[in-house]
Amino acid sequence: MRIFVAVMLMVVSVYAISYKELAQKSDDATAGFDDAQSQMSMTLINASGQQRERLMAMKVLEGEEGDKSLMEFLSPADVKGTKFLNYEHINKEDDQWLYLPALKRVKRIASKNKSGAFMGSEFSYEDLSAFNVDKYRYPEGEVPTGTLNGKTVYLGESIPVSKYSGYTKLKTWIDPKTFLILKIEYYDRKKELLKRAVFEDYKQIKGIWRMGKITMSNVQNDKKTVLVWNKERIKTGLSEKDFQKRMLKR
Amino acid sequence: MRPYAAVLILCASLYAEVAVKGHVGIEGQWYMQLPNSKHQNNITAFESLELSYEQEAWRFQAALYAQQDYDDVARSADNERTFVRLDELYATYESDDTMLLAGRNIRFWGALEVRNIVDVLNPVDLRSDSFNSDKMGAWNLAYTYYSDASEFSIMVKLYEENQPMAAYPYAYYVFPPFVTYNDSLTHESSRHRPSIYLSYVTSFDWEYPLDSAVIFENGYDSQRYFLADGPLDGRPVQFTQHAYLVNKMMSYNTMVVGATLLKLEAVYTDVIDDRRIADYYHLGVGAEYTMTFDTLDGDVGLLGEYYRYGTFDDAKYSDLDLYETFQNDLFLGMRYTFNDVDNSSLIGGIIVDLDYDERVYYVEYESRFGDAVRLNFDYRYSDPSHKYSTAYALLQQHERLGLRLSYYF
Repeated sequence: MRIFVAVMLMVVSVYAISYKELAQKSDDATAGFDDAQSQMSMTLINASGQQRERLMAMKVLEGEEGDKSLMEFLSPADVKGTKFLNYEHINKEDDQWLYLPALKRVKRIASKNKSGAFMGSEFSYEDLSAFNVDKYRYPEGEVPTGTLNGKTVYLGESIPVSKYSGYTKLKTWIDPKTFLILKIEYYDRKKELLKRAVFEDYKQIKGIWRMGKITMSNVQNDKKTVLVWNKERIKTGLSEKDFQKRMLKR
Repeated sequence: MRPYAAVLILCASLYAEVAVKGHVGIEGQWYMQLPNSKHQNNITAFESLELSYEQEAWRFQAALYAQQDYDDVARSADNERTFVRLDELYATYESDDTMLLAGRNIRFWGALEVRNIVDVLNPVDLRSDSFNSDKMGAWNLAYTYYSDASEFSIMVKLYEENQPMAAYPYAYYVFPPFVTYNDSLTHESSRHRPSIYLSYVTSFDWEYPLDSAVIFENGYDSQRYFLADGPLDGRPVQFTQHAYLVNKMMSYNTMVVGATLLKLEAVYTDVIDDRRIADYYHLGVGAEYTMTFDTLDGDVGLLGEYYRYGTFDDAKYSDLDLYETFQNDLFLGMRYTFNDVDNSSLIGGIIVDLDYDERVYYVEYESRFGDAVRLNFDYRYSDPSHKYSTAYALLQQHERLGLRLSYYF
């Protein structure tokens, strides 16, 4: 009887859920942070194992219609002070500006090409933009389960809506208890596996889950990029004013 | 003893809070085609240093630039390309919605890539490589009010700067050898007569987003003309620049249409009582389209720009008299951004002068070595007019390779 109850409990903890519901729960799991400030280190590892490190300071403002983010590059020295401002939109292209400190120039950039690599890393601009359920469409039916590192996970799937996306499909591995994303596989326009991202070091800050590390591996060129969040703080009181264009020159 | 200790502690604490960055390097240009009377190469060492300090709402910034030309020490013919220059020394005070600035600084206005015809506040130092727009600081006071998507500024430039120029036999000295350039500016009114700029910058969140700026100026024109102190008959003569007063309307705009940026810069200048210079306009339109390909790691950008300059009185100085090179010019270029760890890019283009049948071809490559050294390489070929005395014709046909190595800290 006890074994039967234990098995029933295990089954009930991974209940039937649709793909879209899963995506929504996953989005909700990390929502509610209001704003975040952090330092990020990005380690680029080429196929030979050589490593290069980049440092950035990041600010994010959570918004219903899309997040706003301001990223400042702290290294290497020749790009120090370069800033990237992004206003995300759900139903249209993002607004993006780049500040070039050597020229004192704020340059508008076209955000359509989000499939381009960010700073030579294996992350694309698309990868770094905030997740939103409405940016994807989902298969019909219930989400199957699988295992990851010996634990049961949901196996989600989503297809980018934008025709300018660099991907034709994303497969996601999601923790059934917390709905945190554990792994994503990205399929390119030829529908071949392109990259694999592993999400680690989740921690709760003020009761909100925040990811601590993403390792993005490109299976086609054997390169890897590790993105780590350091000294992250949320609900710091940032407002719209902290993401105005004037902040690029500050 | 205690006051000295207090000063030292204050300096040490300030030192710890001051952000320092800059770069040092060396560049060279080698000319495969150039008149024999001019230096066939240039080698220049340079250093840039920038200091920033912030304390609550205050910010202090200083920037120095120094350049040492090899010919100025090694050869008897002095290029006059060696100098130390204070580019910036200013303080700002910012509140929620406003900013006050006082001091010397450099600003950027514009949307185009090849020539920013509205970037008029800061003069260009003509002692540097002519293909790098090396701007000098300008003493000014400024007040800016910020709203959600807009900013309104009043700027008062307090002093009209001399524009220094490298001397003959530097490759880009445009005058003949019997002309000496004297950089002491002559001016219609006092050099301290302020130039006032009113600027409004905003963004429109339309279906095709638009960033737009409108600027009005009353003051000295960025365009200047040359006065000779004697006849141009081959005997030694001195040229000086003359600054005159204008009312000027300017605008620069960038619109996003999918993967394309559409750009416009426009200037209308109403010259205030100068017998040599007519009212004039200057327009620049451009487009930049970026493509990605599944088979390439990088992005390909296609660029096209067109410039048009015209005066409203043919009896006064023309574009030729004013050495204006972008009077009816078309630029076509392509940029490949490698999207690699070294921020490498390759850009090539051609500028065609449709009036005077001139062409300038160029290719530029830049990349990084390690994490601190930047390399820039360029090739340029200029095929000037054979009928008209344009600036390029006075320089004569030339072809060059350029290399620049910079260490950033």
